[in-house]
Amino acid sequence: MHKIQMYICLMYSSELIKGTLKTLVLNLLAKHDRMYGYEITQHVKERTEEKIQLTEGALYPLLHRLEADGLLTTEKVSIGKRVRKYYKLTKTGKQAATTLSDEFRQFSKTMNKLLDTFQSKPQLQWLN
Amino acid sequence: MAELNEQQIDLISAYIRQHGVAQDELHDDILDHVCTSIEHLMDGGDSFEKAFEKTIKLFGPGGLKQVQQQTFELLTEMNETMKKVAFAFGLTSAILLLAGTSFKLMHWPGAGVMVVIGSALLVLAYLPMLLWHKLKESPRNETLMHISGFLGLTSTAIGVLFKIMHWPGASVTLITGMAVLGLIYMPIYFYKKYKVSSNKPVTLSTSLVAGTCLILVVALINVKSSSDMNRGLSLISDQLAETNKGFDELNVLYDRLGDDQQAMQIRSRADELVQAIEDLKTHLIAQSEGITEEQASNIEMRYVNSRWIYDIPTHIMFAEDENTLPYSIYAVEDKIRDFKEYVVDVYQPDMQGTIDSMFPIKLDSGYEIDGKKTDWAKYHYYHVPLIGVVSELSNIQVTIRNSEMQALIYMISQSDASDPPSGS
Repeated sequence: MHKIQMYICLMYSSELIKGTLKTLVLNLLAKHDRMYGYEITQHVKERTEEKIQLTEGALYPLLHRLEADGLLTTEKVSIGKRVRKYYKLTKTGKQAATTLSDEFRQFSKTMNKLLDTFQSKPQLQWLN
Repeated sequence: MAELNEQQIDLISAYIRQHGVAQDELHDDILDHVCTSIEHLMDGGDSFEKAFEKTIKLFGPGGLKQVQQQTFELLTEMNETMKKVAFAFGLTSAILLLAGTSFKLMHWPGAGVMVVIGSALLVLAYLPMLLWHKLKESPRNETLMHISGFLGLTSTAIGVLFKIMHWPGASVTLITGMAVLGLIYMPIYFYKKYKVSSNKPVTLSTSLVAGTCLILVVALINVKSSSDMNRGLSLISDQLAETNKGFDELNVLYDRLGDDQQAMQIRSRADELVQAIEDLKTHLIAQSEGITEEQASNIEMRYVNSRWIYDIPTHIMFAEDENTLPYSIYAVEDKIRDFKEYVVDVYQPDMQGTIDSMFPIKLDSGYEIDGKKTDWAKYHYYHVPLIGVVSELSNIQVTIRNSEMQALIYMISQSDASDPPSGS
């Protein structure tokens, strides 16, 4: 299990993770009205069958940054002695969610097409 | 559904804080996250301790601290233009300050302008941007540290600028700045670093650079003024000024000569010359020190803070515009020549050549500085610090009075010889 996680970490460059995580979180929040941190991690874990590990270490910094950028707002609800912060999209946040998901879909489509053309060629070409 | 009690929440909260999440907003997030996770695990049958351990493991070793660090990094990422602008301001001011200081040391023109612009950029642009960045980057309990650092640096920079430009108030600003840096910023900084014990190499090098800068500044200022040298020279200067006051006794000699025309001529010339030099001295001290002429006329050299500056005295004595012309050293030189003629004239014609060549103020000797020919005025007063200028001017006053006295004594002896008092 540990090895697989390491492999996943190595597979995705930090730049790629940064970009996709933002898209992921924004679109998740676009589907749900408001969510708190733990809820988001659990949601991603369940939906992706744990293939994408949205770790706590990555999520909270991102949420704070998105809040600072004005894409998210928070609602605080006290639960006993602790405070639960619900994150919610702002107007700009909603726009960003659509733009980013469109962009990503376009990108993966192009990548897929491109990779397909590469892989349809004879694989042993370099031996000649 | 399991629900944690208050003690358990307090325990978790303390644990999170202890392991590196100090920022309140983030702390709330993580606390809720950990609590919820524990509650879920406890629902699955785990004990509190077991669930706590499992949840914390998810963050990995040192993970909590990393979350905070990453949050700060993300939050403070400046956008590219801002980074470039800040960098440009910092670099420009550093280059200007360095060039200005070098020019200053070499006495090349333009040093003042560069230092002023460089400091202005530093104080008005770069340091505020740095403060803004630091405040955003750091948790709230470091606000005092950053603000004190900013105020200390700003005040020190302004102090250095004023000191270099010889503007009034430099010392107070400089001392205040250094006191703030030394007594507030540094202790908090090192305490924080010691406590967190995670010296990032960047901040360490920054503090190193800052420290070196401070040392350089202090060295630059102290180089010129070892206290022993100060005391010695101030003593000479004050002593010369004191000697000048002793010449009031010349009145007795004038009384003996009665209304001798020649004596009266010499007296008026000498008085005028000595007074002109006194005015010049007062003016120089007043301008350099930034005090009134009345204060300047009574101050002793050892209390004059600006005694080591030379550019204001030089600027005044060698100025060519009309406002400062009365204080030109060349005006003094002309008056000395005039006085010398009258003094020499007192003596018998066959002595006049000798008296002339023995006159102690050598206006026309060949003076040289670094192998270059120069005149009497430049040799004695150009780029000479205030203390030297004032001492030399006092010395001239003493010389004038001495020559005057010798001439008077000579005149008295002559008149006594030709007109012996009755009864002898």
